[in-house]
Amino acid sequence: MSTVAPPVGNAAGASGPGGSGSGSSGAGDSPDGSERNTGATGRSTFGSVIARVPRAVWPLVAFLVLFGIGGIIRPNLITVDALIGTATFAIILAIASFGQTIAVIQAGIDLSVPNTIGFSALAFLTLVGPLGPFGAFVAALLAGAVIGFLNGIVIAKLGLTPIVTTIAMNGLLFGVILLAFNFSELTVTPDFVIAMTSAKISVLGLSMPAVLPLGLGLMLVLQLVLSFTGWGRSLFVVGSAAETARLAGLPVDRIRVVGYMLSGGLAAFAGIVIVGYYQQASATMGASYLLSSVAAVVVGGASIFGGRGSVVGTVGGALVLAQVSTLVAVLNLGANIQQLIYGVIILLVISLYGRRRA
Amino acid sequence: MSAVSPSTAPAWSRWWNASGVTRLRREGAVAPVLAFVVFFVVYVIINPALLTRFQLQTAANLVVPLVLVALAQLVIVLVGGIDISIGAIMSLANVVFAVQLETMPVPVAILLSIGVGLGCGLFNGFLVAYGGLPAIAVTLASAFIFGSLAREVLDAPGGGVTKEIYLATSGELLPYLPVSLVWLAVIAVLLWLLLQRTSLGRHIYGVGSNMESVRAAGLNAKLTKLLAFGLAGVLTSLGAMMLASSTVTGDPRSGDPYLLSSIAAVALAGAVFTGGRGSIIGTILAACTLGLIGNLLFFARVNSYWQYVISALIIVAVVGIPVVWRKVAFRVKGNRS
Repeated sequence: MSTVAPPVGNAAGASGPGGSGSGSSGAGDSPDGSERNTGATGRSTFGSVIARVPRAVWPLVAFLVLFGIGGIIRPNLITVDALIGTATFAIILAIASFGQTIAVIQAGIDLSVPNTIGFSALAFLTLVGPLGPFGAFVAALLAGAVIGFLNGIVIAKLGLTPIVTTIAMNGLLFGVILLAFNFSELTVTPDFVIAMTSAKISVLGLSMPAVLPLGLGLMLVLQLVLSFTGWGRSLFVVGSAAETARLAGLPVDRIRVVGYMLSGGLAAFAGIVIVGYYQQASATMGASYLLSSVAAVVVGGASIFGGRGSVVGTVGGALVLAQVSTLVAVLNLGANIQQLIYGVIILLVISLYGRRRA
Repeated sequence: MSAVSPSTAPAWSRWWNASGVTRLRREGAVAPVLAFVVFFVVYVIINPALLTRFQLQTAANLVVPLVLVALAQLVIVLVGGIDISIGAIMSLANVVFAVQLETMPVPVAILLSIGVGLGCGLFNGFLVAYGGLPAIAVTLASAFIFGSLAREVLDAPGGGVTKEIYLATSGELLPYLPVSLVWLAVIAVLLWLLLQRTSLGRHIYGVGSNMESVRAAGLNAKLTKLLAFGLAGVLTSLGAMMLASSTVTGDPRSGDPYLLSSIAAVALAGAVFTGGRGSIIGTILAACTLGLIGNLLFFARVNSYWQYVISALIIVAVVGIPVVWRKVAFRVKGNRS
């Protein structure tokens, strides 16, 4: 514990100026930092440079600091293989958290992620027989999108709170999982999913599991969608000021529903990836992603009140959490301490930039 | 309605107000109370044996921990927060109680467990009230911390809960009445008195419904929030002890299922998640309904896995119908105000 606490403190210290800097640069800064170069006049050069750094960079910086500290403790940790190992663990958590990121950006939350993961994974394995691998893949993604659609309709049209709606959906899905699937038959993972996730492939001469480039590619696509499409930009507007967006003529309900559909579809994709990588499925396979998906999003710099966040940040958040678990494993501290450090990191992150904007 | 003076109001109106129906309606608790009545009648028709001593006691022991945790979640929701760490606090208080019983006298173990719940609640409350941090993020972090502490205290089910403690809290101490219901009634009445008859209770409702007015009126909103979180922690630890006693074991993961179901019960009770509105009796009955659906299906010879589907549908129906009703009424009548 005492050997790991300083690294955490250092990581937070490194991101400290950024947190306070971006906080004081006003509420108008955009999530990807592209509009920050106004209004930084009359401040020290260092401060203005720091304030212009996109928020998504800070989790990555924190990860690099933690990675370096790991190397100081155990020099054999600074190897490409160790990096790939941590990154693989992180990218799976990140894929499970991409949908959560989109839900949080639009000022919602998706607590149905765990059982959406389980449902889509089990539906995929069940449908591989009748539909073939590709048909089952498409059907499972569609199932996730339908789950998200139902969430979105209830939240946007009925006006129930996202927390209540998605908890109810999570419970409903758990019942459906227990009722609908015959677990004893679900043991064979199709080859193409293994090829997509756990099979070792060579990228630039480095051997890594296929899920790593897959996840990074998905991150890239999602970030481009969020940053450069009209729907992506409007998602941030809806998240930070829904009423204003409505008055400005944005189709707020439709943007919300599409956001939850994407969230559900991404959770379904995560379910298939998890089945492919670990090659096992169970009714509760998604349970650990309930809190950790929100944790990755929060550590990645998203605001829990909406309007701010990025999938690049979420990958950074997942990398920080994964590196912590690597360090904990290397130092033999036990899984409990890992959870404790997760909690402390989240507390540090929200105390740096988690306050409600005035 | 309350502006009408008693002398001019018709008799039915006075009865209506005096029986608390108006308050139930204002707190959004009519739907969950009706839902419970329907549920209870169906239950007794399907399984009249519920009213026998053994079954009533089993059912009471099953729901009392959930009811207490739901009341804790209600107090947090009343001040406009939400507690993601409530399951972890429950696990921690549960294992502390069970472990302390191995070496300490019972009252000390009870006090330590309550102290743990209070401490966890104050930790959350301090960061939320005085740190200005969002409750959902703070309690997400503390869920990890408290959960890991619980597994440090006791890493597998065990502890020293004795048969005598089971008898005193969940067993056949009284001739007919399940004793866990008596404890629940005592706690619920005390909580009701605290929330409805003391200034702290009025402040808790006030902070949730209009923070700015409370501050302008010179009340200490931050202290009120802190105390609300502490109160919720104490209620959670009471639920944890009832759970440990009725299962005769301490379990570091026993609180986990209570996170989502406590929020579901509070939602079903008609509480508003932006704060200020929520009913104690509604929460108790909502938690009873949700907790007993699995039992009802068992006696109706339906696959009890349906309980998850039915609970979700009940929540969406009971919470959603008033919203739809209001929208339809708005369309039909137009905006008259």
